[in-house]
Amino acid sequence: MSERFRKGLALVLALALAATMLAAGGCTTTTDEEPGEEPAVDEKVGGTFNFYISEPAFIDPINLQESEGTQVGQSVFDSLVTFDPLTSEVKPAAAESWESNDDATVWTFYLVQGAKFHNGREVTAQDFKYAWERICTPANKSEIAYHLGVVKGYDEMQAETATELEGVKVVDDNTLEVTLNYAFADFEYVVGHPALAPVPAEAVDADPAAFADMPIGNGPFKMAEPWAHDQYIKVAKFEDYYGEEPYIDGVEFKILSDQDAAFLEFQAGNVDFVPIPSGQIQATVDEYGESGDGYTINPGEQVSLGEELAVYYLLVNNEDETLKDPIVRNAISLAIDRQDICDKVFEGTRVPATGIVPPGIVGHKPDAFVSSKYDVEAAKATLAEAGYPDGAGFPAISLEYNSGSGHEDILQLVQEDLKAIGIESELVGSEWAQYLDKLGAKDYQIGRLGWIADYPIMDNFLYPLFKTGSTDNYAFYSNADVDAKLDEARMIVDDDERVAQYQEIEKIVGDASAVIPMFYYRHTRVASDRVNEGIYSPNGLFTFESVWLTK
Amino acid sequence: MLKYVFRRILQMIPVFLGVTLILFALRIPGLLPGDPVQLIVGERELTPALRAQIEEEHHLNESVPVQYGYYISGILQGDLGRSLQKNRTVTDILLDKFPNTARLAVSAILVEIIIGLMAGIISAVKQYSFWDVVVTLSTSILVSVPVFWLGMLLQMFFGIKIKQWTGGAFSLPMSGMGSPPDLVHLILPSITLASVSTAYVARIMRSQMLEAMGQDYIRTAMAKGLSQRVVVFKHALKNALIPVVTFIGIDLGALMGGAILTESVFSWPGVGREIYLAVMQRDWPVVMGGVVVVVLIVMFVNLLVDISYAVLDPRIRYGGTAE
Amino acid sequence: MSADRHHPDGGDLHTPQGPLDAGGHELQDQPPRTLVPAVPEVSAHPSRTLWGDAWMRLRKNKLAIAGLTWITFIIIVTVSADLWVPQNFAEPTSTEFASMQAPSADHPFGTDRIGRDVFSRVIYGARVSLAVGILAVSISLVIGLALGSLSGYYGGLLDAFVMRTADIFFAFPYTLFAIALLAVLGPSYRNVFIAIGILGWPSIARVLRSSILSVKENEYVDAARAMGASDLRIMLRHIMPNAIAPIIVYGTMSIGGAIITEAALSYLGMGVQPPTPSWGGMLSEAKALMIPAPWLTVWPGFAILTTVLSFVLMGDGLRDALDVKMKD
Repeated sequence: MSERFRKGLALVLALALAATMLAAGGCTTTTDEEPGEEPAVDEKVGGTFNFYISEPAFIDPINLQESEGTQVGQSVFDSLVTFDPLTSEVKPAAAESWESNDDATVWTFYLVQGAKFHNGREVTAQDFKYAWERICTPANKSEIAYHLGVVKGYDEMQAETATELEGVKVVDDNTLEVTLNYAFADFEYVVGHPALAPVPAEAVDADPAAFADMPIGNGPFKMAEPWAHDQYIKVAKFEDYYGEEPYIDGVEFKILSDQDAAFLEFQAGNVDFVPIPSGQIQATVDEYGESGDGYTINPGEQVSLGEELAVYYLLVNNEDETLKDPIVRNAISLAIDRQDICDKVFEGTRVPATGIVPPGIVGHKPDAFVSSKYDVEAAKATLAEAGYPDGAGFPAISLEYNSGSGHEDILQLVQEDLKAIGIESELVGSEWAQYLDKLGAKDYQIGRLGWIADYPIMDNFLYPLFKTGSTDNYAFYSNADVDAKLDEARMIVDDDERVAQYQEIEKIVGDASAVIPMFYYRHTRVASDRVNEGIYSPNGLFTFESVWLTK
Repeated sequence: MLKYVFRRILQMIPVFLGVTLILFALRIPGLLPGDPVQLIVGERELTPALRAQIEEEHHLNESVPVQYGYYISGILQGDLGRSLQKNRTVTDILLDKFPNTARLAVSAILVEIIIGLMAGIISAVKQYSFWDVVVTLSTSILVSVPVFWLGMLLQMFFGIKIKQWTGGAFSLPMSGMGSPPDLVHLILPSITLASVSTAYVARIMRSQMLEAMGQDYIRTAMAKGLSQRVVVFKHALKNALIPVVTFIGIDLGALMGGAILTESVFSWPGVGREIYLAVMQRDWPVVMGGVVVVVLIVMFVNLLVDISYAVLDPRIRYGGTAE
Repeated sequence: MSADRHHPDGGDLHTPQGPLDAGGHELQDQPPRTLVPAVPEVSAHPSRTLWGDAWMRLRKNKLAIAGLTWITFIIIVTVSADLWVPQNFAEPTSTEFASMQAPSADHPFGTDRIGRDVFSRVIYGARVSLAVGILAVSISLVIGLALGSLSGYYGGLLDAFVMRTADIFFAFPYTLFAIALLAVLGPSYRNVFIAIGILGWPSIARVLRSSILSVKENEYVDAARAMGASDLRIMLRHIMPNAIAPIIVYGTMSIGGAIITEAALSYLGMGVQPPTPSWGGMLSEAKALMIPAPWLTVWPGFAILTTVLSFVLMGDGLRDALDVKMKD
């Protein structure tokens, strides 16, 4: 062997050795310490939670809406109120108390004294006004401004005839008064939306782009460094937080664009909380144990399968020649074996829907949609009643879906069910953008959508989906009576009466099968065995305030 | 020499224009699913006033050639537009991703050089030996393995299985997840990415060495009694290296443009994966901007390779046909 | 392995940058440019016994014959599948079995996440792979042969135009281009082979053009021209037979390449759509299930590997047998 070659070889070997050592050194991160029997409080303190998310669109409240950004945003920001992670009840947050006048048109919020932003400045009522007006300014292109649509002055700001929200008044540093266009008894839920958190004007105005990547909030965690796009977002415990101090030192949101890859990383022990891929739910439950209530996570009870505040439904084009007949829609709804779909596609982890309002929302009523059950004989009889005995004369219809997200499995099963009562159909998949175009253009017969609660109230499921002219009313259901009742309901101050009104509305749309509820979404996530007292709430947000990590 | 460089650059211009023309054609309304204006506004309600404003902003109300003009001048000024999905400019997004792609490309090239060259040399020097057969057969297999499958197998063994076997003591990272990808994160992706090219480097090296060793002057040297090793490493190797270097240069150019499959398997935050995700999400500004940048990078690296090749090897004619 | 694989003048691995690169290079995140670098040379004079000789040489190449045998076997198995695969197994959407079962006598390759038999999906997946491979290369051949021969035979402006267009195609990163094309056409079985076919023509055109250039100047072509033969006749009778050998080698390897591309595109979700079984699509579904169900990852990948390898080995063998030399 030549001298040079030998040297080269030695170099290669040295490099390989070095790489191996680095690999070994870099990866032996977990050390198994004996866990104490009953951890004292200070044993709970510390540690970084490794949380998987996909790349958020925004973490700045100005456009906080999708789940990933909201997960980060709610740890950095506190809105006026928050929701109990388990019961969805309204709880104080930045506002320690609030009240409304008798007809629920004027709301007054009293802020926590001495609460601070992460830059050290105290939070004042003016910061809320600034933040809300920032969202309502059309030039800022916020997609969530409509949440403030009930606030007086919103329409003027949208029309660019005003630069301030007339209805938002700073009474003093700690008092915020909000006047609405009309009575809205559920307004306290609206202000719990994470996008309606205060922002410090001086930081935003200094450099909006920098603020978008490293927002300064008033929440329990502060940004540790700017958002490393597509890689990670690090937040650390905020020492001057006005509320209860969290146990963990911080959260590292690890950004991966692929859920399957995230699950692999979970198996390798590199992330603490991930979605479970379909096909592996049962095996994962067997291995890691299921959470008792479906939301609370502890070692040995690591899989969250709780119901979400979300519903999967079939859209029926209410303006279609054949499908505009409610009897036909009822027949179709009766023909669908929802349990079979839940079993085959979701390993039995999802529950058939019997109404559009999911359980977990106050006022949920089982069997709200009378036809939302599986009964082939009734379906055949109903179809005959509509003038199509055994499907005779029923035109072939299209079942549309957005491709690439597993909906084809569900709609294939629907197709089989419809065949059983004599209705022929064809599956048509298209890309999401194109799919929405088709829906919006009424260029479909039956489609599918999911609806997730913005805030946990019945109104949020009924008003947008069934009010004539609402952009989310893709079924094009239109009923003057329902429209009037929806507006009326918002003004009913008494909680029980209001809920009763919404239940009546749900029954009207249900009797007509305005849409066809399929099943309620369920969580399918698993946490690592070092996670204690973690709560994954019904609206899909992990609570970092209560969780602690086994060291 | 300068004339040659100048000519090469001139040749690049029509190619560049052709590439931009094809990409631009993708924007013509009707060719792609979805209303382009609706795509830009996302989920916001599209009022006629907003539509007019968007069309004005994005020059969608102009004639097609004028739009192309805006598009080209945008590219030349480094303005590639804004992402429809992310709240960022395309330029920012690509600047973020490029270092990761470059890191992966360079380490893949290192793997190619180290393993490919050694395998090729051994195979040639020990022609017809056991090792020669091993190398030739495994190069055939390597070019037939789908890289994404190879990546999956590596993840399975070195990411998870090995961790189970060693009781959690040892494993290699399976993705570019989390903190900035460091040296350890690079191991599996770069081996995966380098697999096919390593096989080619070995094959080229082997055939070039064999050819070189068959040359008269080498035979003469051997006849004069110089030891085989001296001949191999002093003379044959030197001559055999030029085509290998060319191959590696071209490969580097291509790898700098991002490796969709490897980056996808390993969730590597690189340029290729970014563009692929943008295609899936119909984020056209990122797709078009990304592809243009990638094409420019590939052309530029190839130009450098050609020029350095021309400098190194005087046998290259500066004129002649385009091939 | 066998000694005759390495007989001294067989040139077994003589020219690695040759058409072998078509055997899957580009699809593997690699540079498409290296695909078509070489100017092929054909043995100087046509011979009546060329094909006979070639077959004799090919028969002696055990690896090539192994590849040929494997491909024949797969074709027979997949084409006859309807005859012997039980009906309930054959239905690609049949989900009646328990999911995620390990391989057993009933399910030699196990079952997948929604209870489909993996063995029959691999068998039926071969149809997709082979069909896409052959159809895609046919499209490339039709376009590539037409443009390549016109370009090589007539030269001039036409030649310049065709070759610059080819340059533009080569300037695009291959996988990206395929994905973008499929995004426009819409991912489907048919569009996959159309896209791969369209992207493949420039290589074919270049190979053919080069070999025509080297044949065109021969005396017998001049002679035919002097005797008043038409362009078409000269092309078909005198040039093509001599220029075609590299195309055969190249085409064979390209089929392997197209199969890998199809698998890669389906893996990325831009190819054949479920529930149609395709090897790449199966691997895509297996991603998160590697640990609990390794058989989902192993078998489809093995099927791709052996099939593509067979085409590569056959291409190698044909190159040696037809004595096609590629050089820089």
